[in-house]
Amino acid sequence: MSCGKPHAHDCSEVLRRVYTFIDGEATSADCVWIQEHLDECGPCLQEYGIDRKVKELVSRACGRDPVPQDVRDRMLGRISTIRTTTVIQGDAGYSAGRVEITRVQFDQE
Amino acid sequence: MPTDVLDRIAVAGGGRQLRLVSREMSDLKNAEAHDSGHTDSVPYIADDEASRVASDETPEQRDARFEHDALPLLDALYGAALRLTRNPSDAEDLVQETFAKAYSSFHQFRPGTNLKAWLYRIQTNNFINTYRKQQREPLLSSTDDVEDWQMAKAESHTSSGLKSAETEALENLPDEDIRAAMLAIPEDFRTAVYLADLEGFSYKEIADIMETPVGTVMSRLHRGRRQLRDLLEDYAHERGFVVVRSGAPSAVPTSEEAS
Repeated sequence: MSCGKPHAHDCSEVLRRVYTFIDGEATSADCVWIQEHLDECGPCLQEYGIDRKVKELVSRACGRDPVPQDVRDRMLGRISTIRTTTVIQGDAGYSAGRVEITRVQFDQE
Repeated sequence: MPTDVLDRIAVAGGGRQLRLVSREMSDLKNAEAHDSGHTDSVPYIADDEASRVASDETPEQRDARFEHDALPLLDALYGAALRLTRNPSDAEDLVQETFAKAYSSFHQFRPGTNLKAWLYRIQTNNFINTYRKQQREPLLSSTDDVEDWQMAKAESHTSSGLKSAETEALENLPDEDIRAAMLAIPEDFRTAVYLADLEGFSYKEIADIMETPVGTVMSRLHRGRRQLRDLLEDYAHERGFVVVRSGAPSAVPTSEEAS
């Protein structure tokens, strides 16, 4: 489908690639003709604007949740435990895959 | 524990030993996790550079490198764990497991490559192999490919004059609506969208993290964002914002949904 105006590339081609363009993943050659198309096609430009807005909204609304201090402390505690005890373990629930190796000296020269 | 084992692991060359153990464990795990498609909880580096780096490095140096490079990424990984597990307790377990594994396997990480992507991959694998199974969430088939979404539908737009108003309406949505919409789309799509839009990973990095082809990443992003956009347009409409439904296809017809 096209907006009816003459374009070098069909609108559907642009809309199919619009996410790669927004994500900076389009090839440089694609970027040129997509940008040209957006400059001359209002409806595609608006679609592009909405898709870009949705991407921005995800970033805005789902921002990073800082680690609570107690969680951070427990995590660091576990790491320091591993420093004196090297624990190689399989995923929880894989009892057959659990291997625990006690290492007395981590800093052995 | 026999001293010779301790020595083999603790001294130079330990990287190779640890990796060997890690691989054996992966094999054990694979026997149980064969249906997940995710077969290795720690990304395996095939070349010898990692072990060379590991053997050149003292444990203290490796510790310092871990502390300097990996620990600052804890916030990002915890946020991702929260979004994956959807509850703080599981998120803490997951992120602890991730960093414990990362620490134990840090000799496998090749300096100069993308540490953040490496950690995300460990965490994503952990999640898939344990938490998702526990949660008994339906697994999405991973049969999606590029052709599926590129060929099956003709993208189109309507020539409504109100699209800029739609952008404005979406902008006015409260954050809780966006978060709710994200939770409403399939997990594989959601993860891809998070990794791209929140973490800024490239398609290739997302493919490595999710252990899928790049084409599948593109497909998941495309479908996920389409569904997300449809939901957000619905929310904006429900809130009385001026929105004209776009001409884009509604919830994208996919083989996954049909099955």
